[in-house]
Amino acid sequence: MNRGGNPRKRPPPPSQNQPSPATKHQATGEAPPPTPMEEDFVDEDVFLEETLMGEEDVESLILRDIEQRQALTSRLSKWARPPLSDAYISQSCSIAFQQLEIDYVIGESNKSLMPDSSGPAAIIRIFGVTREGHSVCCLVHGFEPYFYISCPPGMGPDDISRFHQTLEGRMKETNRNSKVPKLVRRIELVQKRSIMYYQQQESQPFLKIVVALPTMVASCRSILDRGIQIDGLGMKSFMTYESNVLFALRFMIDCNIVGGNWIEIPAGKYKKAVKNLSYCQLEFDCLFSDLISHAPEGEFSKMAPFRILSFDIECAGRKGHFPEPTHDPVIQVANLVTLQGEDQPFIRNVMTLKSCSPIVGVDVMSFDTEKEVLLAWREFIREVDPDIIIGYNICKFDLPYLIERAQTLGIAEFPILGRIRNSRVRVKDTTFSSRQLGTRESKEVTVEGRVQFDLLQAVQRDYKLSSYSLNSVSAHFLSEQKEDVHHSIISDLQNGNAETRRRLAVYCLKDAYLPQRLLDKLMFIYNYVEMARVTGVPISFLLSRGQSIKVLSQLLRKSKEKNLVIPNVKQSGSEQGTYEGATVLEAKAGFYEKPIATLDFASLYPSIMMAYNLCYCTLVTPEDVRKLNLPPESVNKTPSGDTFVKPSLQKGILPEILEELIAARKRAKADLKEAKDPLEKAVLDGRQLALKISANSVYGFTGATVGQLPCLEISSSVTSYGRQMIEHTKKLVEDKFKMQGGYEYNAEVIYGDTDSVMVQFGVSDVEAAMNLGREAAEHISGTFTKPIKLEFEKVYYPYLLISKKRYAGLYWTNPKKFDKMDTKGIETVRRDNCLLVKNLVNECLHKILIDRDTNGAVEYVKNTISDLLMNRMDLSLLVITKGLTKTGDDYEVKAAHVELAERMRKRDPATAPNVGDRVPYVIIKAAKGAKAYERSEDPIYVLENNIPIDPHYYLENQISKPLLRIFEPILKNARSELLHGSHTRSISISTPSNSGIMRFAKKHLTCIGCKALISDTDQTLCSHCKGREAELYNKTVSQVSELEELFGRLWTQCQECQGSLHQDVLCTSRDCPIFYRRKKAQKDMVEAKRQLDRWNF
Amino acid sequence: MEVDSQKLQRKQSTYLSFDENFEIQKEVYRGQQYSQIYFARLHMMRTLLYSLVPNWKPHVPVCKVLGLELGKVCIVVGTLYKHMKLKPCILDEYSKERSATPLVKPHNFMHQDDYLVLEDESGRVKLSSAILSPSVYVTGVVVALLGKETSAGDFFVEDVLEAGLPPQIEQPLKSREDKYVVFVSGLGFGSSSANPLQFQLLVDHITGHLGDEEEQGLAAEIVHLVIAGNSIEISRGLLNGQNLDSKDQSRLSDPIKGLDILLTQVAASLPLDIMPGSNDPANFSLPQQPLNRCLFPGSAIYNTFRSCTNPHCFEIDNIRFLGTSGQNIDDLTKYSEAKDKLEFLERTLRWRHLAPTAPNTLGCYPFTDRDPFLIDSCPHVYFVGNQEKYETRLLKGSEGQLVRLICIPRFSETGVAVVLNMRNLECHALTFGTQFS
Repeated sequence: MNRGGNPRKRPPPPSQNQPSPATKHQATGEAPPPTPMEEDFVDEDVFLEETLMGEEDVESLILRDIEQRQALTSRLSKWARPPLSDAYISQSCSIAFQQLEIDYVIGESNKSLMPDSSGPAAIIRIFGVTREGHSVCCLVHGFEPYFYISCPPGMGPDDISRFHQTLEGRMKETNRNSKVPKLVRRIELVQKRSIMYYQQQESQPFLKIVVALPTMVASCRSILDRGIQIDGLGMKSFMTYESNVLFALRFMIDCNIVGGNWIEIPAGKYKKAVKNLSYCQLEFDCLFSDLISHAPEGEFSKMAPFRILSFDIECAGRKGHFPEPTHDPVIQVANLVTLQGEDQPFIRNVMTLKSCSPIVGVDVMSFDTEKEVLLAWREFIREVDPDIIIGYNICKFDLPYLIERAQTLGIAEFPILGRIRNSRVRVKDTTFSSRQLGTRESKEVTVEGRVQFDLLQAVQRDYKLSSYSLNSVSAHFLSEQKEDVHHSIISDLQNGNAETRRRLAVYCLKDAYLPQRLLDKLMFIYNYVEMARVTGVPISFLLSRGQSIKVLSQLLRKSKEKNLVIPNVKQSGSEQGTYEGATVLEAKAGFYEKPIATLDFASLYPSIMMAYNLCYCTLVTPEDVRKLNLPPESVNKTPSGDTFVKPSLQKGILPEILEELIAARKRAKADLKEAKDPLEKAVLDGRQLALKISANSVYGFTGATVGQLPCLEISSSVTSYGRQMIEHTKKLVEDKFKMQGGYEYNAEVIYGDTDSVMVQFGVSDVEAAMNLGREAAEHISGTFTKPIKLEFEKVYYPYLLISKKRYAGLYWTNPKKFDKMDTKGIETVRRDNCLLVKNLVNECLHKILIDRDTNGAVEYVKNTISDLLMNRMDLSLLVITKGLTKTGDDYEVKAAHVELAERMRKRDPATAPNVGDRVPYVIIKAAKGAKAYERSEDPIYVLENNIPIDPHYYLENQISKPLLRIFEPILKNARSELLHGSHTRSISISTPSNSGIMRFAKKHLTCIGCKALISDTDQTLCSHCKGREAELYNKTVSQVSELEELFGRLWTQCQECQGSLHQDVLCTSRDCPIFYRRKKAQKDMVEAKRQLDRWNF
Repeated sequence: MEVDSQKLQRKQSTYLSFDENFEIQKEVYRGQQYSQIYFARLHMMRTLLYSLVPNWKPHVPVCKVLGLELGKVCIVVGTLYKHMKLKPCILDEYSKERSATPLVKPHNFMHQDDYLVLEDESGRVKLSSAILSPSVYVTGVVVALLGKETSAGDFFVEDVLEAGLPPQIEQPLKSREDKYVVFVSGLGFGSSSANPLQFQLLVDHITGHLGDEEEQGLAAEIVHLVIAGNSIEISRGLLNGQNLDSKDQSRLSDPIKGLDILLTQVAASLPLDIMPGSNDPANFSLPQQPLNRCLFPGSAIYNTFRSCTNPHCFEIDNIRFLGTSGQNIDDLTKYSEAKDKLEFLERTLRWRHLAPTAPNTLGCYPFTDRDPFLIDSCPHVYFVGNQEKYETRLLKGSEGQLVRLICIPRFSETGVAVVLNMRNLECHALTFGTQFS
């Protein structure tokens, strides 16, 4: 289906066993491969012995340079966790801890806890922290992997045991290498019901198949999928149920554990490990049935004092290359450790290669070799024992780099960073993809027992920004510019002296500090822990996986309560499953100078699912509709033609989940109002947010065609109801609020979006519009099935409606003062626009909406366009930035930034952008007919060589469309007025200093007044202009004066950002709005000074 | 007529310029930054402060910011940096949300949350103290501090040492006759408040064309006129790069011509120094370079006409004058507080620095190897132009230095010129009015 026709190159084929969405497109014509699809979950058995290094090896490695280490160890040991109290040591108290990470390994069955079993078994490991800050590793035994199949009718106990033998035999064939004595542990007959479709009978027989190891679930499933010979029944294939549930999640569901909650093991129920496997302070074995899982309420909603490590590394790259672990050394590692809940880090240190001058408040540790740096870091991790490791882009860059670097250097003992003794971290490539976020390639570094939280991933997931560089993210959220040191300078600093390395260390520390500040500012810890608690998945799933596992986890939990099982549906993976989306009412574009009331459906889709009881288990198949003959009063036929039973016959599970989520959100919001303690508030706010997001993702889950359990009948019914409701609302409003009905004006619905309707009631007073809005919301809500509710929320006044999904207006929630300016779909955050567009659009909207000064806005546009044409524009406003994701050859269509990167490489490979960098460029004037991609140029090169930019490109391709969108509803002849008026007549273009004909030109001094040539080099003016001397001098000097002022302001600002007066500014952050201005001011200053000096004769 | 016996002879005096320190001649912009000027300043001031430390606090160890240890009392010398919440920032021009409310108090950016930081080339440390008030100090001042590092990582300041008044060349007592120097600033030719007649009166007065014999006699004792900045004001709108029509050309050149005519009259009878100011057709950054002679085709012919730099330093009859057109003090009023303007003048002398806020908030040329604003020799007369009102005070230093501090008001607004008697450094105002009351 994609052969030849796909303009985009696919990512390289994935290596084995890695979930990748790319595989699904390669499947044409062949049998569908069993490779996992998007968001499919596979367990991967890790055998304990295999991850460990030989004990002796490590000991000897560590012993080898123990003397050198001693100094370091004593330096680090003061940061160790608090010592255990006597009660813990004597094992006389119960152990309660907040768990952060749950995984499993395969190990020998624990004889003392389970005397009856033997051979390899899955051991669940729960890592967490107690209230006192002790680290915990809890080894849980006895939990076995299983799944269900439906039991063929008439199967008796004997048949089952025969089936068991057959299955065992087939399993042995596929798992030849396994040392497990019995692969299929047992098969039980249970009474369950499938979640799919409305069924009248209460339950049916199912077989619960318990296997020895988690991966065997998958192999057993594929045997049963393909079919198995059963005596008396012949070849039969089985639909499996809940066979795609990850083992750790299965455990959590069955033990009622949700992500990030508190777990308690009573005294006497746990046994301290004879030989510690982990570095945790409390390590013990217990049975899964002895765990007490606390719901996150009251005392147990609090957070344990986790240790959060924020780190950043610097590498010395070679000129012209992005650092590669095979060549380039790691020169610095900066670390900050903060206790959850505290606002200041309690450890700040930096490890440097070669000497480094001290830094106030920071422990600087310098080493002579890179190996020592890396080992010191490992030692540090082990001593400090962080629970959460954060940083910016650590998953894709810092962590894999460190590990690969250690490999290159042959430091075998380095990658023991996890909490399991002598166990190495594992690195593999992963591709994560979802409909919401697109495909992202990443590396997965498994650090056992420590949660990784990459701020880059989190911000990318939760916020839509124009750039995700640490600089612009921190500018956006912390209002702080970060200085940016180009990686080519880093090597120079490293090769300098202790002072320059100190400079680098300060920079490195800042990069380690910013992720921590972002984490605090955006409340990520609270929000993610609450999300894990609400949806029941481990915290690590939240960043590494998509939306659907969260819904699946809730669905599984609820199904378990109801004795339902969820089928593992064969994923079709085809595009058949498209359905009509939400309706948008025709937008009556225009500039409305009367208040527009907005009626919103509060969480429309969840409400619809609840109101009409839409669920897997309430859906009646068309066949059953005929067969069952259900009374019409107990079913709903949806506008899309599907039939669902009403709650009186069967209450849906999805509606129930939603009801709980919404009720819980209400509670959380009520508690939030009551709460006084800021930490408690943060928890509750995180919770209500998580609940809201979760409620909204249920609908998406049913519509995800390549998801876990798609059911288009549900999703298309939801949208069809939604459409109906919008239409219904429009009709009701326009019928009721009209002059015949005794109202002052005829109301008019001017626009309706997915879940809101904009009404112009005709009144010109905000308060009157608000009252009518409230009245309408109440009136219309009464006509809907509960809990669907129309709410009046806000008034827009004035309101500029451009087209569907594009509008701007002032947002009023009280009649006294507007709250803010609200815009949607208007070019303010698009990445591939230059800053000029954003500023222009913002300023115009400001003038039109707030100042109510349309003429002023027009004037402003004209002046800006004139400035652009007259070459007076600040270059940084014209810079367009795009990320370089691959090299030129990999792009099939020529793109401006890629071409530029190639050209820059030819000029100077040292500073040219590399893959992964963002490439800023401007469009310059070139020969007629040159393609846009040929006209891109490096802004610095443009500045240095006076290359003229192409104002018409900016006029036509950048600013004209957004401007016309705004002005067309307001202004007649907007195009000719704005873009072709008299202000566009005079044009000034700078003369390039390095190109074309200028190379052959001979330079002469000209009169400053009239440009006439003057022969005498001592003169400034020709004889004609002599009389205008004062005027002309004034001009020159005023230019110099302006530039000097700018120069001073710009460069002192950069000093401010870098936080030092006595050191040169090194920053080359091209994301900084003043970077090009600063550069230009520096250059212009030279020229202006030269001009001025000509007067000193 | 016995004219000859009546003929008054203008007194003579010797004049020496020390402006070469403020001249930018060979220096060019070639990518240098501001760190070097701070470095030079710190280096010079540290040497000086270190020499004072043994007398101030003997036996207390001296260290750098990096050498601070928790709880250890020591002395650190460094550049102060004042962290200011309200300080305008060029990045605000690009901020996401256009703020609906304009800046509060554009004349002063002080805020109670402001705090000081001490920096040397090794690092910076936040200061906490009861005696070191952030409202008094500004960024760029070099001081020695006695104190210790607290557990919060701050440096708790117990005592402050400023460099103090520089040494003064002993005031020559031999020329004990009345000789006057007249100061004027803010003539504002071309501005709406300018009144050429007022200045004509001043010119007539000092050139001896006004008054009776006694007054003429006094006028003959005026040996020098100093014009301290802002003589011309040209609306910026005229200089936007467009070619001017003839009407605008004359709007631009007429004030300059008018000034030239009057200055020609002065220059014909006594020496005058003209300094550039913030509004004048000169460069922006300090030190401002002399106004170009091409602006004064008439007066520039006379050798009594001197176009000088701002700041301006000179000696008349061995009395040393130092002054500016006011930018340094104006900037201090924006970023710090004092009971009157003279206190700011006094502070700059004690800090031994004419313009500590340069380059931070005051435009300044990026010098590479020196800081021209350091005051190494205490002047006898220290003046600033373009202030609201006339103020003066005699400052006595601890080592017997005697300095006359003068705030010269804007002439176009007040009609006040200041006259200094070099015999005893006494000072009085001359007020000119053109209105009949």
